[in-house]
Amino acid sequence: MAILRLQDIYKDFSGLKVLFGVSMEVQQGECHAIIGPNGAGKSTLFNIITGLYKPSRGEITFLNQDITRSSIHKIARMGLSRSFQIINIFPKMTVFENIRIAVVSRFNRRFNITSFLSRDRKILEESDKILSLIGMRDARDVPACEMSYGMQRQLELALTLARDPILILLDEPTAGLNAEETRSIVTLIRKVIQGKTLVIVEHDMEVVFNLADRITVLNYGQVLATGTPDEIRGSEEVKKAYLGRI
Amino acid sequence: MNRRRALKIVGGGIASLFLLLLPVLLPEVDVHLATEILIFALFAVSFNLLLGYCGLLPFGHAACFGVGAYATALIFKHITGMPFLITLLISALSGFVGALIIGFFCVRLSGSYFALISLAFQMFLYAVALKWRDVTNGDDGMGVTRPDLYLPGLGTLSLMNIQYLYYVTLVIVALAILACYLFLKTPLGHAAVSMRENVIRASFLGYNVFLTRLAIFSFSGFLAGISGALFVVFEEFVATTVMDVHMSFTVILMATIGGTGHFLGPVLGAVFLMVFQDWISSLTKHWWLFMGIVFVMVVLYAEGGLIGLFKWEKIRALFVSEKES
Amino acid sequence: MDTYIIQAIHGLVYGMLLFLVSSGLTLVFGMMGVLNLAHAAFYMLGAYFAYTITVHLGNFWLSLILAPLIVGTVGIGIEHFTLRKVHKSGHVAELLLTFGLFYVFGELVRIIWGSNPLRIPVPALLAGEIPLMGTTYPIYRTFILGFSFLILIGMALLLLRTRIGIIIRAAVSDADMVDVLGTNVPRVFMGVFGGGAALAALAGVIAAPFLSTYPGMGLDVLLDCFVVIVVGGFGSLLGAFVTSLMLGELQSFGVLWIPRLALVFQFLLMAVVLIVRPTGLFGEKQ
Repeated sequence: MAILRLQDIYKDFSGLKVLFGVSMEVQQGECHAIIGPNGAGKSTLFNIITGLYKPSRGEITFLNQDITRSSIHKIARMGLSRSFQIINIFPKMTVFENIRIAVVSRFNRRFNITSFLSRDRKILEESDKILSLIGMRDARDVPACEMSYGMQRQLELALTLARDPILILLDEPTAGLNAEETRSIVTLIRKVIQGKTLVIVEHDMEVVFNLADRITVLNYGQVLATGTPDEIRGSEEVKKAYLGRI
Repeated sequence: MNRRRALKIVGGGIASLFLLLLPVLLPEVDVHLATEILIFALFAVSFNLLLGYCGLLPFGHAACFGVGAYATALIFKHITGMPFLITLLISALSGFVGALIIGFFCVRLSGSYFALISLAFQMFLYAVALKWRDVTNGDDGMGVTRPDLYLPGLGTLSLMNIQYLYYVTLVIVALAILACYLFLKTPLGHAAVSMRENVIRASFLGYNVFLTRLAIFSFSGFLAGISGALFVVFEEFVATTVMDVHMSFTVILMATIGGTGHFLGPVLGAVFLMVFQDWISSLTKHWWLFMGIVFVMVVLYAEGGLIGLFKWEKIRALFVSEKES
Repeated sequence: MDTYIIQAIHGLVYGMLLFLVSSGLTLVFGMMGVLNLAHAAFYMLGAYFAYTITVHLGNFWLSLILAPLIVGTVGIGIEHFTLRKVHKSGHVAELLLTFGLFYVFGELVRIIWGSNPLRIPVPALLAGEIPLMGTTYPIYRTFILGFSFLILIGMALLLLRTRIGIIIRAAVSDADMVDVLGTNVPRVFMGVFGGGAALAALAGVIAAPFLSTYPGMGLDVLLDCFVVIVVGGFGSLLGAFVTSLMLGELQSFGVLWIPRLALVFQFLLMAVVLIVRPTGLFGEKQ
């Protein structure tokens, strides 16, 4: 079953045309990678799916609901979560507080004024659970801005997962990480996406072929090919576009 | 219980005792000043809800203060016999509604845009108050008689008596500030603060930034309305000065000098500004220059405000004694 | 009919003055992202310096040169010593700083020159009136109009024809890019800031005999400037120009037709524009 469907997405930024009729489907439970050269429109696609931009043309369906013109927070509440290429955490809040504020949203307590957050057991427990899942127990009370880049990347991932989403979009989760950090974050990703659907944008081909069930190749705002890793590896068009980079 | 907490509790206890005994300890003219300080402390706290906790700087915060003030004055003028507390509630609600309307337009924006649109609305209300002489008497203003407060068990207190006025103001302000403090501990309070840190991420986590900020803005208006109402009762007079640019600037000064990073910073700022106004204005009429310079210095060199300096000392003192023992 | 034309010219005069002041404000905002509230203080200082120079040195024309120079230097000093320091603390801190500076300047003026309005006599050369459309019109106002237009043309030439002008326009559009391309951006900022200050001071000088000099003049012109740059568009000179003239006419005729509502209308307009089109009529969409 396709839980995310993009139909003919065009995006024109007041003259700067970025996407030309992108169509793709994401099947439930799969790990679907989007690859392509820089400028191909991958991040723009993510921004459109999650509601930051509206497409100039085309439709997006999530769980059989049209989310083309939905607001960012509405899409997030439907169970679609994303991470950011450039780390986007709450810098002065501690790691725990970062996760906690995401959990508050998950339990729909956003407008609650009848309880004290520091005493809300349900939220505290769930936040601790995620903290353990992501392996950051030791950094619980460290302000996010004081952590190393690698740990901030982990927190970035944690925030994406904290809402227990149905569909996760990861935008270059290994950007800026060294080989060892990359390996550990890939292991982490594998662990946490059990039973979820994942769409991942990546440049690191090793990561892509490690994780992906299917790959979509984007080039100059158009879909070049979609298929299994083997199909993509063997595709002449893809090779031409990448000039032998795979 | 650690040392810091103990210090806080002791400090709070002493302060509370002082506030309660103030009319007994100090001469009447100081009780008068203390009442005014309380009123502005609440006003400054309501302002800091937006600046310190939401990261939004309004240039026109006097709008809701003024709305509360005029609401009270108009009720006193046109409806005799309205109980004081009900009047206060209505004024607070007026401030709330005013903030709801203004906020609906303001909170979509941030930074300079937010500051300016807030100013635009305040200037608009000021112009209305100035020109609508039939209702407000313009810049000539209207006199207001302090009402009596009926409390079951205590009888009728005339607020013309400065001691009674002080205690009533103290209780109301203390409750309002406490409500604000508790509010910041709720999930909604935390949500607003997270938006100051990273508004994009908050959105992507499912938060409706507009509605959240509107809620805080409205609550801030509610509190400002209370302080405006108390101000009118205190001054026994209302004029367009309650919502002019100068009033907006005053609260900006107070909160910033006191320190926007701490909940009680604005209170300290209100105390500082009013005490110094009282002290220096008798020496020179250019005390506003002094305040302005202090303000600029704080912005340049002491971002945490006066209360920021306060904290360092304490921590340093803790360090020193711990080393010795 | 004639009165309408005269009113329209009145409006034009104030509109041009307003443009001279608000142009610096909008350029600085466009370039540095800072809404410099102290800018109106530069205008006020220009007027007050003009007063002192004219009264004590007997020469109004001297103040046309000296006042902008002095104020421009002050502007550069402020940018270098205070604004730069606070830049890293974010927009709110910058707003607070410029607001504080505006405040302090206002009080300094009050101390040095007193709270009462000061009259600067119109220079003898420009005193009197000329016949216009069956009635007479003050020569001095015509001078303001003419002089402002000259400055406007000078600004246009500077921005459109010189290398500095191109750099400034580029920096307004994208300061980071200009930086990367090798230009000393901090120096450009400083220059534009100081230049804007000098321009505001110049406006203050020529406005002084016309509008009189009083401590509240800074705030009055600041509020008008806000309306100009909000409606015209943050960073847009064309927007500032069009809106300044519009506002000048609005005030001129508003005072005539709807005196009670003119002030109200102005701020309502600003609020409406901020809601409907936050970047202003000519501003760039962010």
